Amino acid sequence: MEANTLRYAIAVDTGGTFTDVTLFDRQTGRNWTAKAPSTPSDPSIGFMDGIASALEQAGLAADELAQVFHGTTVATNLILEGKGAKVALLITAGFKHVLEIGRQDIPRNANMFDWVKPKRPVPPEQVFEIPERLDLDGNVLEPLDQEAVRRIVQDLRAQGIDAIAVCFLHSFTEPKHEQQARAIILEEHPDALVSLSSEVLRVFREYERSMATALNVYVMQAVTQYVANLRERLEGVGAAAPLLIMKSNGGVVSAAEVQRVPVHTALSGPAAGVVGARFVGATAGFDDVIGIDIGGTSADICLVKDGQHTVSGNGRVGGWPLPFPMLDIHTVGTGGGSIASVSSDGALTVGPASAGAVPGPACYGRGGGAATVTDAHLVLGHVPPYLLGGGMRLDLDAARQAIDKHVAQPLGLEIEAAARGIIAISNNDMVGAIRVISIERGHDPRDFALVAFGGAGPLHGVALAELLGTRTVIVPPHPGVLSALGLLVSQLRTDYARTCLQTPPDYDVAQIAATYGELKAEAEAWFERENVPPSARKVSHHASLRYRHQGFELRLPWASDDFSPDATLEAFHRLHEQLYTFAQRDTAVEIVTLHVVAEGHFDRIEPSVWPSGRSVADTVIDHLPVSFDAGRRTVPVYDRMKLGAGTDFAGPALIVQLDTTTLIPEGHRVSCDHFGNLIIAAR
Amino acid sequence: MSMETGSIAEPICDAVTLDVVLGALRATQGEMEALIERTAMSPFIREKKDFFVALFDADGDLIVGAYRPSAGDPVRPIFEHYPVENMRTGDLYWYNDCYGSHGSVSHSPDQVFLAPVFIDGQLLGFVQSWAHFADIGGMWPGSISPDCVDIFQEGIIVPPVRLAREGEVNEDLLRLFFRNSRFPDLIKGDTRACLAALRLGERRLVELAGRFGMEVVADAFRQLGARSERAAKARLRAIIPHGQYRFSDEIETDGQGNGPFRIAMELRVGDNGVVLDFSGSDDQAPGPINYLLNPAVPRAMLGMYLLAGDRTLPLNSGAGRAVDEVILRQGSLLQPDWPAPLGQRGLTMMRLLSATMGLINAAGGSSTAANCPYVIYFARGLDAAGEPFLLTDGVGVGYGARPFADGIDAVYYIAQENYPVELMEHTFPVRIRSYGIHRDSGGAGRWRGGCGVIREIEVLAEKATIAIRVDGAESPAWGVGGGINGGAGRAIVNPGHNNERQLDPLSDGNELFRGDIMRLETGGGGGWGHPFDREPEQVLADVRGGFVSQAMAEQQYGVVLSVDGLAVEASATETRRQDRPDVDGLFHRGGYRDELT
Repeated sequence: MEANTLRYAIAVDTGGTFTDVTLFDRQTGRNWTAKAPSTPSDPSIGFMDGIASALEQAGLAADELAQVFHGTTVATNLILEGKGAKVALLITAGFKHVLEIGRQDIPRNANMFDWVKPKRPVPPEQVFEIPERLDLDGNVLEPLDQEAVRRIVQDLRAQGIDAIAVCFLHSFTEPKHEQQARAIILEEHPDALVSLSSEVLRVFREYERSMATALNVYVMQAVTQYVANLRERLEGVGAAAPLLIMKSNGGVVSAAEVQRVPVHTALSGPAAGVVGARFVGATAGFDDVIGIDIGGTSADICLVKDGQHTVSGNGRVGGWPLPFPMLDIHTVGTGGGSIASVSSDGALTVGPASAGAVPGPACYGRGGGAATVTDAHLVLGHVPPYLLGGGMRLDLDAARQAIDKHVAQPLGLEIEAAARGIIAISNNDMVGAIRVISIERGHDPRDFALVAFGGAGPLHGVALAELLGTRTVIVPPHPGVLSALGLLVSQLRTDYARTCLQTPPDYDVAQIAATYGELKAEAEAWFERENVPPSARKVSHHASLRYRHQGFELRLPWASDDFSPDATLEAFHRLHEQLYTFAQRDTAVEIVTLHVVAEGHFDRIEPSVWPSGRSVADTVIDHLPVSFDAGRRTVPVYDRMKLGAGTDFAGPALIVQLDTTTLIPEGHRVSCDHFGNLIIAAR
Repeated sequence: MSMETGSIAEPICDAVTLDVVLGALRATQGEMEALIERTAMSPFIREKKDFFVALFDADGDLIVGAYRPSAGDPVRPIFEHYPVENMRTGDLYWYNDCYGSHGSVSHSPDQVFLAPVFIDGQLLGFVQSWAHFADIGGMWPGSISPDCVDIFQEGIIVPPVRLAREGEVNEDLLRLFFRNSRFPDLIKGDTRACLAALRLGERRLVELAGRFGMEVVADAFRQLGARSERAAKARLRAIIPHGQYRFSDEIETDGQGNGPFRIAMELRVGDNGVVLDFSGSDDQAPGPINYLLNPAVPRAMLGMYLLAGDRTLPLNSGAGRAVDEVILRQGSLLQPDWPAPLGQRGLTMMRLLSATMGLINAAGGSSTAANCPYVIYFARGLDAAGEPFLLTDGVGVGYGARPFADGIDAVYYIAQENYPVELMEHTFPVRIRSYGIHRDSGGAGRWRGGCGVIREIEVLAEKATIAIRVDGAESPAWGVGGGINGGAGRAIVNPGHNNERQLDPLSDGNELFRGDIMRLETGGGGGWGHPFDREPEQVLADVRGGFVSQAMAEQQYGVVLSVDGLAVEASATETRRQDRPDVDGLFHRGGYRDELT
């Protein structure tokens, strides 16, 4: 991992519309960015087009690349669109309908009269019961019926089903029946893709574990094929660099590791943005930031505290629980393309329906007639009616008509008031999401800076900050490609966890030490597989604790250098109080799960230094009328790329660049720091 | 709050702010719920999630909460003892008194906690947390037993009391309460969770008022009520013509050898308003199936149906105002005299919810078929360490089919989750032998009723004493519009063994010993529409998924499958379907009929 051997790194972030590429020279700090249209039918085409374009700009050959980082939505889309493989699930006899029953509830905010139970990714006729049974301590009550496994797998092979998930009761304690089943499956069906619940998610609660295991093998074929395609295409152009793929936990792993547990990439795309937001915060001097990534259809929100992103064990993707460590990202269905509508009872809603890229907002003039958030911004003058660089012009009349018809008339409002309403509702949805990852987690958003990125982030950033009472908004130099930057600055990371229930007063320090020892050994084996040199390895210990009788654990770093739990227990009381307003020192604390986080550190990427520019006045390229809550004002329009480091001016203003527009209301000051970040502060 | 909604005054809260406030209220609700879920201690609350939170205006009208029709009218009972003018910031109020709250709480284990929210000395509204506590004393662990003959046997009764004054909690009250529970540690933790949620909700409402102003938020409350009211009234008028409509149903037993008990409803829609009249229902039962009905409950049951399909309309007091009057008869099953027992009212509540749908069907609206009432059992004994255990396990059933979709399979109630098998075995001295779909329990129809479940529980303790409630053994969930009734439920001990026995479906004191297995088969929902109109491919999918047997597919759906059950025999099906049974009644239970009782 020496700098000279890892000079050129390239990052490819595949989004719904565009594939963003950033190429970075670790020696000089120079970087090049490229954009290629995404190719959803075979994303590897857009991937390679983007790489070729970046290499050409930099004048480099593919064999000079040392690392290729990648964030992918292949697994996410398969799950969300229900288009994964035909999966067979082998389950303990008596529990065929584990997925079908789920948790037997109607969601708390659903109306039972219109709620329909969502269709499972594996239908019950593809769930097969295997006679076997362990008790809760892992003792065998009934041995695995090997013949039953054999028979079923022969059938599956004959039917051409080769994605097989195995989930047996209590396998999180004792995986041997699952392992035996795998051996038989591979004897009978050597080409089968097999996923064991004890390897995918080694925690209790059979519905969640079997769903995660089934989803893993559901996406395995496609992800494996996709990764193999990428490898092949890279090799085809002479790139021998390792391919490193972003996981939902914010770390990257080799392609081989992704193929083992592909469902870990379910949040690969947004995770890269989180890492990017953390990096931007750090360069701007803020360790505590809230990242808000607003795209066309949704906004992804995350929180970074003390320079660390937060990891949650309660992730969901498309209605299915995936409770393994994922970055705590909260997504709302509100973005630039979100459609505003008024119900017959007069309620104004924005999203989750989206006009997407095609037909897109009314103002794109591609036949879209719906009123979107982007149309509202255009009507209010938040974006200029032209895109920089002489590209597409936006159709203001079409935007006004759409808002008039769909929002203003039904509510009896003027068009501009209706547009402000659309923005207010969408901001409110996003504020709700920010509260979930901040206030609900015991953090006060006023103590954080907001990093606004994605195509529409800088349009909403200051308004969101005002609603939250946040004083600072940071807009990175290239808000549209921050995820690619996040990939570049990411580290290798894998999480290991094991249930190790410890009940007071008999905390078994030896057992804690032994469990951490086992987890650490797994981490070391992974370091070896990933060729991480010893000097670059970092292992940290964490634990999940709860009060006796609680059902929900809090995860926190193990607080002492030895295995005595006292300091961690104290930290738990404090955290519980911070999150939930009260601690219960009269109540016993149980240690439930021990975690080891293994990280392989690449050399730090230093941010590029932004040139100091000319006088502020020279960067004004236009004056345009903008409608603010307080009234209409004509404001200067600045060219972002000409604003030099050290520039400082007061709003109101628009700052335009190729991939976004930043809206600065009155009462805010903007300065450009030495890394090109805009720091927007309330006066 | 006044009943007029066509107020001529200009609204203080504009249309956009209104939806912003609604979003903030829902976020507050979600935050309070998350806090309770993460900090509560009894499995009944933290895992099964038998808790709810809600927000009310200064008059005590519900503004925002879960879509749950059983919430009653929980703030006003406080007013009877504590006038608003004496309330202060930091006060907390509490009760579980069913009769003292006129049925806002309808069995004693449900605890209601309320906090007033003041803005600069002016009352804005109330926040509420509500949870079912595992044990509050009474004749059996778990407090509510089919054996109870009066409410005193169902645990300690807390009348509306002031639990905190200006932030100072009255610990004496809590000590008295905890001392009455067999599991004080659990309910101590649950109480802390509920109170912390109130403080959180209070803080959020204060912040909301700080952002928009007290008057704007208060006006938003009024408008949210009015909006749901307008929508519910318009839909009721659209689906139900003027006239008088009746529906009645029977509950077989009160668990103590009495019955059946008739629930009778009449809906009168005319120029003078909409009246729901329950006075034709039977006299109260000696056993604990009485449901002390707060008038807000049937209003909300109907209101929830009327609001379906539109998430922008909260289920609140406004929705309930679609009904102008609710008539109940003192001394009846739905308005029993003090101190009749109430503990098993869940059964009656679910029957009443279905009866409300029956009434809409009878009135010409195209509504859902009947749900099967959810099943619950209590197992008590000593675990291997000699410590007492109490297992309260709610078991899913099938809900009624709808005019646009199948009924929900394997479902309990709103927001209430099952105990995972791995949690059951870790927490209680039991082993779960099987847990799956109860095949053929969903009523056949163009849309199939939801299927119930099968759950087999093996006792690992020396002895377990079991109380059980399985409804619908003799009167299963009715079908509608040609749909067939759902399958019945039952509880069997040691099925297939020579000592097999069936448990009385509503009973306590059933003794099971180590190695005994209790098999629960829960009932399904009624079907909707003629079964011969269901697409054969859909029937095939049900057979392959284990929801419908091949025999049932042929008998009830007229769908003939290949011998291996993997394909539809199209011509045989067509022939079979020519012999289409006639539908000669709106409802179906045992046979087609227009009235069930």
